[in-house]
Amino acid sequence: MNVLVLSGYGINCENETLHAFEVVGFKGKIVHINDLIQNPKQLNNYQVFAIPGGFSYGDDTGSGNAMAKKILTNLYDQLIDFSLKDKLIIGICNGCQILINLGLVPSLNKKDPEVAMIENKSGSYECRWVDVKVNNNKSPWLKNISILNLPVAHQEGQLMIPINLLKSIKANNLIGLQYINNHKKLAKGQFPFNPNGSKDDIAALTNQNGNILAMMPHPERAFYHYHVPNWQNNTSKKFGDGYKIFMNAKKFFA
Amino acid sequence: MTNTIQILSIEKTGKESSLQKEHNNKSIKIIDGYFFSRNLDDQKFTKISKLISNDVSQTILTKKNVNKVLSSYCNFNWVLEIKFLPGVTDNIATTVKEIIKDNLKSSFKSFELGSTKIILIKGRKEDITKISKNEANPLIQTIKIYPFKQYLNNFKKNQFKIEKVKLPKKKYSKKEINLDISDYNLSLIGKLGIEENDKSRRGTLGLDLESLKTIRNYFSTIKRKPTDVEIETLAQTWSEHCKHKIFSAKIDDIEEGIFKKYIKGATEKIIQLRKDNFCVSLFTDNAGGIEFNKDWIICHKVETHNTPSALDPFGGAITGIVGVNRDCLGFGKGAKPIANTYAYYLADPNKKYQLYRQKNKDPMLPANFIAKGIISGVRVGGNCSGIPTPQGNVYFDDRFAGKPLVFCGTVGIIPKKIKGKLSHKKKANPGDIILMAGGRVGKDGIHGATFSSEELDPNSPVSAVQIGDPITQKKMSDVIIRELRDENLYSSITDNGAGGLSSSIGEMAKESGGFIVNLEKVPLKYNGLYPWEIWVSESQERMTLAVPPANVKKVINRFNARGVEATIIGKFIKKEKAIVKYNKTEILNLDMEFLHEGYPKLNLKTSFPKIKKEKKKIIKKSSLIDKLHKLVSSPNIVSKEFIATQYDHEVQATSIIKPLQGEGRVFGNATAIKPLFDDEKSIALSQAAYPQYAETNSYDMAGCSIDTAFKNLIVSGANSKKIAILDNFCWCSSDEPDRLYQLKEAAKACYDYAVAYQTPFISGKDSMFNDFKGFDKTGKSVKISIPPTLLISSIGVVDKISHLTKMTPDDDDILLILGNTHNELQDSVYFKIIGYEKSKNPVVNSKDALRTYRNFEKANKLGIINSAIGIDLGGIGIALIKMAIASKKGLTIDLKLKNKISVDQFLFSETQSRILVSMKKNKLANFKKIFKGSDYTIIGKCTGSDVVEFKDNKKIIRGKISDFAKSYKQNIKGL
Repeated sequence: MNVLVLSGYGINCENETLHAFEVVGFKGKIVHINDLIQNPKQLNNYQVFAIPGGFSYGDDTGSGNAMAKKILTNLYDQLIDFSLKDKLIIGICNGCQILINLGLVPSLNKKDPEVAMIENKSGSYECRWVDVKVNNNKSPWLKNISILNLPVAHQEGQLMIPINLLKSIKANNLIGLQYINNHKKLAKGQFPFNPNGSKDDIAALTNQNGNILAMMPHPERAFYHYHVPNWQNNTSKKFGDGYKIFMNAKKFFA
Repeated sequence: MTNTIQILSIEKTGKESSLQKEHNNKSIKIIDGYFFSRNLDDQKFTKISKLISNDVSQTILTKKNVNKVLSSYCNFNWVLEIKFLPGVTDNIATTVKEIIKDNLKSSFKSFELGSTKIILIKGRKEDITKISKNEANPLIQTIKIYPFKQYLNNFKKNQFKIEKVKLPKKKYSKKEINLDISDYNLSLIGKLGIEENDKSRRGTLGLDLESLKTIRNYFSTIKRKPTDVEIETLAQTWSEHCKHKIFSAKIDDIEEGIFKKYIKGATEKIIQLRKDNFCVSLFTDNAGGIEFNKDWIICHKVETHNTPSALDPFGGAITGIVGVNRDCLGFGKGAKPIANTYAYYLADPNKKYQLYRQKNKDPMLPANFIAKGIISGVRVGGNCSGIPTPQGNVYFDDRFAGKPLVFCGTVGIIPKKIKGKLSHKKKANPGDIILMAGGRVGKDGIHGATFSSEELDPNSPVSAVQIGDPITQKKMSDVIIRELRDENLYSSITDNGAGGLSSSIGEMAKESGGFIVNLEKVPLKYNGLYPWEIWVSESQERMTLAVPPANVKKVINRFNARGVEATIIGKFIKKEKAIVKYNKTEILNLDMEFLHEGYPKLNLKTSFPKIKKEKKKIIKKSSLIDKLHKLVSSPNIVSKEFIATQYDHEVQATSIIKPLQGEGRVFGNATAIKPLFDDEKSIALSQAAYPQYAETNSYDMAGCSIDTAFKNLIVSGANSKKIAILDNFCWCSSDEPDRLYQLKEAAKACYDYAVAYQTPFISGKDSMFNDFKGFDKTGKSVKISIPPTLLISSIGVVDKISHLTKMTPDDDDILLILGNTHNELQDSVYFKIIGYEKSKNPVVNSKDALRTYRNFEKANKLGIINSAIGIDLGGIGIALIKMAIASKKGLTIDLKLKNKISVDQFLFSETQSRILVSMKKNKLANFKKIFKGSDYTIIGKCTGSDVVEFKDNKKIIRGKISDFAKSYKQNIKGL
């Protein structure tokens, strides 16, 4: 089981993302995008392709856009190939924005992109912990998970979806995660439970196959119990909720 | 044919919503625009438009659709267009260029482009003017307001132009400067700069008459005239910013100066007393280093960026944070930045000060613009760099109206050994190549070092403003830390900050002997820079490396493969000479000794200051609960959550004690990160400054700062033997004897308290002239000086996860105050908000304090302490309220008082060295054993109800926690 964790041009969560995969049993490597462009065949050695969080190109021209265009220009066919095999792709935060800009999720019309991430409704960067519920547990990434407590940290996490498309996204069960309130009910856009004003409280999308997950919250930052706010009140567990996502990847190949 | 692309966001974005809310106008729309230097044919227009926009959320405006699209939103009548001035860093444009180049490859070569922001409104002209003042800064941007129809006209006729830096294309000829002139003319060179052929002046050198005479003597000895480059270089190297002349000057009877005697002296004394390996690298490098565990060193550095932030708050602050990140990259062989810290000292953002740099013109930016800009600058710098920013604070006082203080700090980590060699040691060897890596050089920040050493006055140069580019720096930093350092491919490294190449190469060359630089090799942002400008420019995102010739190719290739430029610009030599050439003409040739040590040493005298005590205020009669609400909602105590949530403190997955603590999210005094996955040790961070105490007694002020910074780490669970501190002195009018007296006293306190706590100073910086000289709105001349401010930053190691504390008690916990409470309300928040009560200023008794801290540490390690919070602003009263808000649990407090102290004195006195703790009842016996002979008071217990209640004899006074939380979390007016 090998994971390729992408880096370069302002991606910045590669170390902790790789660490999370390694702890659950993957072997992995951080690969600079320019090296991958030089030698795209190395993708054959990997079962998981992870685009971690960060600020690729400083979010200029819209979060994830510039990096998506770089991938589109140089690596698109290889990535599509990868996604059509029995393999997994995850994009976290900036990685999520990149996958959306590439049109890899929700990928209903195979046209890029179909939805957009725009600036948070609050107008400011939001670094805070949220609760999300799993909507679609047919995706290998989300199997047997119901609720997760994870941090978000982004300036542009408000998902914008044309109305017709929203219907097909729901019909095809492509909503991965949704923000919920303190009563475990959908946040209904209410701040801070829904931190960015995202349409239908959507925090993650998948493709139809479910093997691609694009999520705004950071599971790798909720990996150990001591990552969780006020963990001192509960020291019995070793791991935080983010661990479950990485374990699911392991289970998929086990 | 068109050469501009304008993109409108369809959906209302967050940016629009905040603008709409702020200006109470729903008819506002924002357009992103891009100006191209080359005409785009239709095909390229379409292709590029698609590359830089998102057709789900955005629409490209064209001549055909512009009317229809815009009119579908509103009948706009005004348009504001904001562009960067030529030469100002435009990060968005850089990205767009990269996207286009990557995608269109060779079919679209050399072109220039600039980004612009266009705001459309329906409203009055006053409205758009007001928006322009809030959204743009004339120092770095052009601001144009058009009637909507004219804008449409321009759009259709394509009357947009990209403005490039226009510099004369002249061949450089060596310029020699005649210093054999009158004292008056000589001092003009120092104050206004070197005179050009057209009689204009280059801008301040910050050199006094005595320094210029010293330079004249040196050149008369070597029998030639100095070149302009030589004078500029000496001005940079000898600046207060670089040489800290005041700290090294003889002052009264202290021959060696206060730095050597009190700051370095304290650390030397402590090392002598401790006999351990805790201190690794002190004062000599870009940051100070201490031992983290057996394999790793951590380093810390805190810088100020005050003057640039007064002129361009966003640019000043972002440059401050990415600049201090480079100090870590330049520590030893290169430490990885793992945490940022910040501290802002600002004027009241809700007040209009209306200050002018010149009579009736050149206004200072409004206080709220400065505050917002600074907060955003560090946000963008920190977040984009992927470095968590957990620790900080903000303090407001009118006396920061002329100059805000912006402290930016970074913590770094580096393995002790790299390929068997000590990583904190570096040495540029003779023959090593000088390599400049990262960004290019432009006119940014010319004369930054020399002018930050001076007061802000009409002659302050505007080109001193730089804007950081965190992505370029991140790319460079990744190559250095991940790909070059651990292979030991270079022998030395340092950052380009103040003074640019002249300073970085000058410093590194001390390791080898000297240097030869060929300035024409330095890559430039645009043509037409003079050699002296290239040499002293403070363009950001650059590191200078000393690379053995055999490795040069490999190093350059590594940089290039990651999209980073790296250029050979000279070499280090053994001969102790500083030599700079430009197209083979030698334009600088100085002895290294004269360059670094030739400056005239100051001889300073101090005198006891007249104490400028604040006027007595009448005490406002109100109930205790009312007073608590007033204090907890006052700007210096109220929650700073809105900053904590916009600064990413979770990146790198190291955050273990977060800025917002407890379920009720209280802004903590200290935070902690756990930097290594395979070691449970954590790093605790805090900081403290008490400018409000300074005028009463600067010695005690410094004592309080050190005590609080130290105490906060003890309370968080740090090992008292593994705490180091950093000093950042921000002073005012440091040429006046009474200010120097306050400085000397504060420095003396630094020695006394650091030695008493055995906590070494590992790094520091000073900024000595934080004064504003200008005019008020009536044209009357005014001088506003900051109160002397000493920021002490503390960094400590927490040995085990279980030592980390929380501030939330559990039901039935008993509450205790550790340490004694005195009547010390002078200059407190109570003094300021409620009124005057006959009192004294807080004085730290280090012996008592240390006993409390050692005992606390012992009790905490044994698991006796359940929760703890350091007592500072607002005293015990505010600490209790914060504890209740954080835990959402009620407390009951018994006000049976000893020592003839009044209730208000007991609750609000800011006596230092006290800790509010809670513990289970059954731990009390063990606690008492440890605290035998030490001061503590049991004051109540945690009830778990929804109120905080105070029992004053038979009277019971109650306040609801939810009401206190509301007061504590209210917005700061003006922000």
